[in-house]
Amino acid sequence: MNAKLQADLRSRIQNLDSISTAPAILTPLLEMLQLPSEKIRIEKVVELVSYDGSIAAQCLRLANSPLFGSRYLETVQSAVMALGLERVRSILFGLCVNRTIPQDKWVIAPEAYWKHSMGCALVTQRMAKKVEYPEPEKAYLAGLLHDLGLLVNSILYTEEFRECLRQAAEQHLPLHIFEERILGFTHCDSGQILCQQWGFSKELVQAAACHHDVSLLPTAGPLACLVHLSDLLCRMRYLGYGYDEILGIELGSDAAWQALVANYPALENMDLARFTLDIDGAMDQIAATVEAVFSNSAAGNKTSAAAATTGSVTTKS
Amino acid sequence: MPVEAAKTKLGTPADSSPNDPAYLKIRDLIYRISGIYYSEEKLYLLSGRCQRRMLALSAATPSDYLGHLTSRGNCEVELRLLLNEITIGETYMFRHPAQHEALRNVILPQILQVKGAVGLKRLRFWCAGCSTGEEPHALAMFLLEEKDKLLAGSTFDILATDLNDNSLETARAGIYDEYALRSTSPALRQKYFKPAGADKLQANELLKAQIRFERLNLSDDTKMLCQKGIDIVFCCNVLIYFDLASKSRVVQHFFSSLMPGGYLFLGHAESLFGVNDSFRLVHFPGTTAYLKPTAAAVAGGKK
Repeated sequence: MNAKLQADLRSRIQNLDSISTAPAILTPLLEMLQLPSEKIRIEKVVELVSYDGSIAAQCLRLANSPLFGSRYLETVQSAVMALGLERVRSILFGLCVNRTIPQDKWVIAPEAYWKHSMGCALVTQRMAKKVEYPEPEKAYLAGLLHDLGLLVNSILYTEEFRECLRQAAEQHLPLHIFEERILGFTHCDSGQILCQQWGFSKELVQAAACHHDVSLLPTAGPLACLVHLSDLLCRMRYLGYGYDEILGIELGSDAAWQALVANYPALENMDLARFTLDIDGAMDQIAATVEAVFSNSAAGNKTSAAAATTGSVTTKS
Repeated sequence: MPVEAAKTKLGTPADSSPNDPAYLKIRDLIYRISGIYYSEEKLYLLSGRCQRRMLALSAATPSDYLGHLTSRGNCEVELRLLLNEITIGETYMFRHPAQHEALRNVILPQILQVKGAVGLKRLRFWCAGCSTGEEPHALAMFLLEEKDKLLAGSTFDILATDLNDNSLETARAGIYDEYALRSTSPALRQKYFKPAGADKLQANELLKAQIRFERLNLSDDTKMLCQKGIDIVFCCNVLIYFDLASKSRVVQHFFSSLMPGGYLFLGHAESLFGVNDSFRLVHFPGTTAYLKPTAAAVAGGKK
């Protein structure tokens, strides 16, 4: 990407209306996302969830769904406990971000986007734990945020980006190849700028910026490498961008893998087949959770109205 | 559903909960012994299989059953019976479509390109431990369907081997019931099968002609050494019955049989971890396979 294009992209992202009018809870939520789970106060999460009637209703419905054991929970607090802090945080983030994007600007289906992002979050975190990366929470967040650039591209370059996706899907090839070709930059570039703007740490910015660039990865730090590998694994397990890619990936010879092995020798003896089977199981659950949350949120306003009229949401802390 | 039935008969919910820590121990034991792995989310499948055996043995709890698998005199027999339970229902045609997709989209185009460059036109497949023949028949249908597309200008042969004479006889007859054909489309049934009595279909001559069935013991080193020039080996849920030393030997034979750039497919939840490190694990959409790297890749020192 040349300097002029970069400056232009930066100023367009800065002036992005929908991001600057992001829901008020996004800022405290982003702060909370970066905390390790033992430092999070459940009351704080309950407060954030309760801030918005439709989000609270969504969480309650999910906690009461067969996916989580068909219970009869009535308070936001019990729903948050049933879903688990981690899941609630990412659902909350997803619903908030969804709210900032007008319906006609979605190029990748919201369901596909969140399956991929939440899948990556979980896989990055699990892999981080395997290699004993010191901050698995940060790894989770890096996975959740790594593709924000896709949303930026959807909002700012809707038609061009739609064409990127169309061609990528038609040829079953990775999306960033066509972004580079058609837009002149990729979601890594726009994601990097947005993450900087949102004040994320350097490592998180690096993960968003470098996760597709094998030449940058060896020097981009372990988090970017973990995200790159998780992204590949998710795409190999049908949690990609909503179309089938034709790929065969030998992780062992991937530059990011080798860079990680140099830092974390435990990785060399990792049973990757077993790890894959472990995440296969988890991914089915992520897909089901995202479907439950975001297929409802497609009719988001309806949900919100229903919650407001029935008054079924109660807060108890 | 038999699993449900077992649950009810066993009674108390504690017995049937896949969350019983004994199941984790059984899971790890099965993985160590057979290479078949159950993730946490799939533990309920394992507990279902165990419960059928527990019912047969009147074992009251998963931890009693773990005792049957580890410390009783006949634990090896019980382990084998459990492995049988685990693989029941695995064998129907097109059980894992992702394997065929990987062949179609990535692997065969690669192999055809390499072979084409040196004027080779024949693809060679081997279903090792083919049991009653569902896998080679499905593979043959898949390849016949690609004959004028991906495989235009190439030919293929399929060798299907098993140790068990009864299984081979069934495989050769090619008569299958609805269960075996549950994922076979009406179009494929129409094209490659003919009626064979009540609710059964038999492979037609065209389909049969694609497969060569032979009796082969995978532990017979001399015969194993004769298998050469293979492009793709399928060996699904067979190695699970071998001890580690024999497993390593069989896998090494597969490695020698394969052409560089060839692939070994195992059962869906099987792993070669700790068995062989010459093969490289490759991820494809929805499946994994083991690659025999080319000499150039080995020289690159990548692992």
